Amino acid sequence: MKKERVNFITLPIVIMALAAFAGLCAAGENAAGYSYGDSAARNEACLVCHADAAKVKPAFFVDRARYAHTTHANISCPTCHGGSAVTHPAAGAAKADCRACHQAESEEYASGIHAGKTGCAGCHNPHKVKTPVEISGEEINKICSGCHNGFEMTAKHSEWLPQADLHLRMLPCITCHTASPDYYLSLYVVKGKDGSRFGRPELATYDDLKRLAGGKDVVSLIDTNGDRTISIDELRAFNKDASHRFLRLQGMMTPEVASHKFEILDDRRNCTFCHASGTPHMQKSYLSLPQAGGTFQRIAVQRGPVLDVVYSTPDFYLMGSTKSSRMNVVGLAIICGGLIMPVGHGTLRFLTRKNRKEEEEP
Amino acid sequence: MKEKIRIYLQPIPVRIWHWINAFGIITLIVTGTQIRFPETVQILGSYRNAIHVHNVAGVIVSVSFSFWFFYYKMVKHSLDRLYIPNEEDLKHGIVRQLMFYCFWYFLGRPSPFHATPEEKFNPMQKSAYLAVMFVLMPLVGLTGILLMNVTPLRVLILAWGGLKVIDGLHFLLACSLCAFLFTHVYLATLGATPMAYIKPMLTGWEELPKHDDHHGPSEDDALAPPGYRPVRHYPEYCGGPRHGGGGHLPG
Repeated sequence: MKKERVNFITLPIVIMALAAFAGLCAAGENAAGYSYGDSAARNEACLVCHADAAKVKPAFFVDRARYAHTTHANISCPTCHGGSAVTHPAAGAAKADCRACHQAESEEYASGIHAGKTGCAGCHNPHKVKTPVEISGEEINKICSGCHNGFEMTAKHSEWLPQADLHLRMLPCITCHTASPDYYLSLYVVKGKDGSRFGRPELATYDDLKRLAGGKDVVSLIDTNGDRTISIDELRAFNKDASHRFLRLQGMMTPEVASHKFEILDDRRNCTFCHASGTPHMQKSYLSLPQAGGTFQRIAVQRGPVLDVVYSTPDFYLMGSTKSSRMNVVGLAIICGGLIMPVGHGTLRFLTRKNRKEEEEP
Repeated sequence: MKEKIRIYLQPIPVRIWHWINAFGIITLIVTGTQIRFPETVQILGSYRNAIHVHNVAGVIVSVSFSFWFFYYKMVKHSLDRLYIPNEEDLKHGIVRQLMFYCFWYFLGRPSPFHATPEEKFNPMQKSAYLAVMFVLMPLVGLTGILLMNVTPLRVLILAWGGLKVIDGLHFLLACSLCAFLFTHVYLATLGATPMAYIKPMLTGWEELPKHDDHHGPSEDDALAPPGYRPVRHYPEYCGGPRHGGGGHLPG
């Protein structure tokens, strides 16, 4: 009797546990590599209209190419918006609830300084959203500038931050407005606007690099030995290559974890967090190169003082951090030269002091 | 007690300028060291303090430099005469002064040059100040202004070769000024007493022992009319005694 009862209870528990494990595996796979069936076909049913700007309002337009690159394309439209009713489009479609998948981010956001100001879609277009590794720092700041006026932000930061305009131009806002303890340097290729040496630096496009690579993979421009890892020497060689004078590498300090709280940690107000040589936050880096679809591919770079390479470009100088040790030696030699008179002459002066006393007191 | 004559050598505007410059440059050297080596030097506390103080001191010294230039060029009209070595300086003066510093000083001979309001600097001083005031100071100021305004002056920075070049130039010029400072302060103590040359920059007046012989300027020297040339040709250096304070050259 006792034995039968055990089996009766144990069996459903085992079944439930297996089901839960299967569910966890599916969640672990997440959307990146997992397909909810034939998502392309399901998406296509929607995109027939929504990818055609003539058929839908601008707010409902979805750029087919951009959407195809997003993780959301893998889970298909109905997963977020529900099945299309026969009354669609008149009855509309369900509004996506991001929390269904992004619970942790939603909770973090709700406890931060932006809570109540705007929702997820205020910053992220779910039909264009890219992962942090696929996006350049400049694009990250475009998201913020949707609400935060650049001039106002510069004026506000100028109250305490020296050269606020320069900091805001060279860094993504989330470099400081983050809870991420670690950073990496995001390196990318820029060119002077309109090919001019003096032009404002802007991201080099895939076409620019493809042309320069002569039809080969754009990575081969920098990864010359083809080992899919960029060495510091390879970066230096690219920056010194005279054949593309107006293309150069630029580095951007990027938080390792994209947090949604946007608070400013106290140590980020301390300038030496960045402005000091050998800081641990500047040793890890990746190279971001544009891809055909408008996204970026990220390639690991040899760990080390990458900023010393970027320092050789005319637009980059991180005070206190990037400095030439050779120049320090030259400077020290000059200062020592100035000590020749006080030390050398002063010693002889002391030794010959009697001569002058005799002269003064004949 | 020896009788002394007094010469009004440094007018008030020059003294104010000099000490603003002195404190400004020392501040710039200290803060500049922290800015370049923040890992080891933290004299001003935070890095931001060092930047702010460095910028403020830099602006003060630049304005002071402009004031100096305006005062000597436009008000006193003596900039060229005081700071640019003349033919006599180049032919004999520099060598004579160099010989004094390197040899004759140790043998107890007097300086071949004595400052007057019209001819304040010896030939070596003139050459050094020419380099410092007409090359080093303007360049260190200009590179500093560029580094303070990287975004608005970006095109100019790129035209000069980029931030690395400007930063390197600013640093090496600052080191040169620092080297000059050591030499300048030391040479200022080489008067008859260690304070003899420093006192005029505090009070304006230089006190000199009154000589009956040719070893120093006479009372007439102090009252000499404009165009007066200083006592610079001592018999020790020219091979024969001269009268009336050691050889005034006609102005």
